[in-house]
Parts: sequence; C-alpha cells; structure tokens
Amino acid sequence: MIFFFVLLVLLVIAQISEFFIPPLDWMYHAHIYIAPVLVFYGAMTLPFPLMLAMALFAGVLLDALTVQVIGSKVEISLGSSILIYAVLAGIMHGLRPLFIRGRWEVHCVLTGICTSAIILAQYLMITFRRGTFFFTREVWWQIGGPGLMAMLMAPVIFWILNWMARVTRYPYLPERTFE
Amino acid sequence: MSRTSIIALLIFGAILGYFLSFGADTTRKFQASIYQLLAPFFTTGSGLQKQITSVRTGLKSLDELEKENGALRVDNRQLRATNSALRDVEHEVNRLRHALNYRERSVFKLIPAEIVTRDASTWWHTVTINRGKEDHIETDMPVVTDEGLVGKTTTVSNTISVVLLVTDENCKVAASIEGSREQGIISGERVSGGLAPLLDLNFLTKQANLQPGQKAYTSGVGGVFPSGLFIGAVKSFKVRELDGQAKLSPAVDLSHLEDVFVVTGRK
Repeated sequence: MIFFFVLLVLLVIAQISEFFIPPLDWMYHAHIYIAPVLVFYGAMTLPFPLMLAMALFAGVLLDALTVQVIGSKVEISLGSSILIYAVLAGIMHGLRPLFIRGRWEVHCVLTGICTSAIILAQYLMITFRRGTFFFTREVWWQIGGPGLMAMLMAPVIFWILNWMARVTRYPYLPERTFE
Repeated sequence: MSRTSIIALLIFGAILGYFLSFGADTTRKFQASIYQLLAPFFTTGSGLQKQITSVRTGLKSLDELEKENGALRVDNRQLRATNSALRDVEHEVNRLRHALNYRERSVFKLIPAEIVTRDASTWWHTVTINRGKEDHIETDMPVVTDEGLVGKTTTVSNTISVVLLVTDENCKVAASIEGSREQGIISGERVSGGLAPLLDLNFLTKQANLQPGQKAYTSGVGGVFPSGLFIGAVKSFKVRELDGQAKLSPAVDLSHLEDVFVVTGRK
C-alpha cells in the first residue's frame, strides 16, 4: 500500500515537472510526458482496484491542468482522460503476467504506444469539436514523438520504480500465482 | 472477476460519471482549486528553473573564455564571472525599467505578472502567471506586453492564473488592419512545428490584397480585447474560395516571455 502512495506522489511530481520541460524543437515541438509511464507501470504492478484508482487520479490531474475552458465551452470534458487512462491501463494490466516474468520489452513498447494513444485521443476530441480534420507531419510527430520518448524512458523509469517497490517491500511479484 | 474488482469498477464508474457531468463553470472552479493547491510547487519550480538556467549561462561564458584567453585564463575567469553576474542584474533592471515605463505610459490599467510555467500540453498553448483573484484578475482579461497582445486569462485561482496565448486556435481576436478598412478574426494554428508559430487572419475580403509588414490591431469587437492592441504583422496573403486569409507573425515572441501585464481596464 505504501508503494501505491509513493506512485501517487511521484505522479504529482511528474505532472508538475512536465510544465518545466521544454518541448523538443528537433521533434517538431513534441512534448515529453512522464506521468503516463508511471501510470502504466502502476497498471502492471498494482491490483485491479488500485490500478483504477491510479487511472482516476492521473486522469483528473491531467484534465485539471491541461484542458481549457473557453467561455462557456469545455473543449474536452473533465474526466475524459480518466476514461482513456483506465482503458489503456486496463490493457496493460492484462499483460501483467508477462511483466512479472521479467519480459519488460513488450511493456516498454506498449507504454510508448499508449502514451501516443492518449495524445491521439485528445487530438481526435478537439478535432471533433473544432472541425477541420487534418494530419500533417507536425501532427504525427507531436503525437508520435512523446510516445517515442516514453518508450525510451520506460526501461529506466521501470527499473527505478522496481527498486522503489523492493525498498517499500511491495509484494507485487508473486511469481507463484502465475507459475 | 472478484467482488472487490466489481465494486471498484462500480465506484470508478460513478466517480467518472460525476466528473463527466461537470459544466464549464464547475470545471473552471475545479481547475482553479487544483492550480491553487499546486501553486507553491509551480512557483518553487519556476525559481529553480531560473537558477539552473543562470548557472548554465555562466558555464557557457567560462568555456568561451578558455578558448579566447589561454594565458590569462584565471584572471579572465574571474572577470567574466563578475561581468556575467552584472549583466544578469543589468538585464533584470532594464527589463523591469522597460516594463515600468510601459505601465506608466499605457492607457490601460495594468497588473504586472511573471510567467511561472509554460504549456505542458500538446494541443493547447498556455502559460501560467503568478497573479490571481487576490490581485483582482478575472476570467477573459487581456494579457499584453509593451510589444503587443499575448492572450487572455482563462482559469483564475487565488494566486495563479492560466493565460491562453494568442497562438492557440481557440483564442479568437477581432482585428483590423492598419491603412485599410479590412477586418477579420485572428486565431492561432492548431499545430505548429516551430518556435515561432504564425497566426491566421480569416474572413477578409478577397480584394484585401494585404502587403507583408502591414500591422494588425485589435478592433475592440467582441468585448474581451480593447481596441488598439498590436497583434502581429502580415507575412503573406492569399485569396480562398470565399474569403481572403493572411498569415501573421505574432507581435510578441511568446517563446521567451518573462513578464506580462494583465489589462484590468482603462485609466
């Protein structure tokens, strides 16, 4: 349980840090997202109810800090990120046995894909609201770039979190359950 | 699926439904409370970022010094470091003097504010400033610098506010062009790949024939932005099927913003 709260604190820190990380000019102004990597790690290590709680917390935080209310119009409803996080975290949660067996490479790749999926979902929602649907090279990079960065960061972040789980004596590696 | 998981799923669904039912006002209030809660972290982070940038700049000047002055390296290091520190102070003094001058000569009532954070999301262009309700800031107040229009406030908490930049597609500004009777609506681009995003000036007449360099000012239509604020200069003009469209370079370099003013009214 301590580890769950550690993850929540780290999630807040990651979300705040994202405000101070400048976008990557060489990647068509793509942003770096750290919070989704933490959420997807939580999805693979936490039990289902705690995974949902984490998706809820991360979604609320993301929407509260990024979604814009213009006049009397909310462009993306507060809560939509909760849904996106929950669905994607649910998929990752389904691959938990593989993760516990130490096969991290699939999850690192999936973390990147899911990070991009969040941004793609946001893009589709704002496009639906604003109209004029288009996909330029910049759009693809701004969707794919953060995923690529998340994919590269994932092994390091997973390793650090794994170490933290051991330090907090979090028993998330019950190999006997899956063997 | 275990009973605990089903109960968790039901609770999750209920909370999700609750959040999805939020209207614009409730969302804004909720966002303001979250920003207020995290405001100390944002301001601390902003201070740390400035210190790190300052140290990095100092290290750069030392590198240059080493290349240029082999024999007098030690002396020059000290001098360069002192100069660097003085330049920082001078820059700060100039910046504040500039801001103060603008505030005094401006026809608007201005509240000075500092940028705390820049946009963290991909699809919205925003910055956060260190002024809020306690400083009489409200939603939909124009934000400017001495160079021109920056944007408008959206979410306002007690000590911190979110500013929607003029380069955001949602920030629509009624504009008029100097030296012509042309009027249109300026908005940002949804996606910009570079550091200097352009603005779109739509709904011009096909005969507008705007020339590069012509300046666009706020026309005052719409009620949010007072008239006469410099928005940007025309870069190109093209005729579309139904109207004319111009691309504008923003008047303000939004990537290097440090200080802004919130317009609270006229003097």
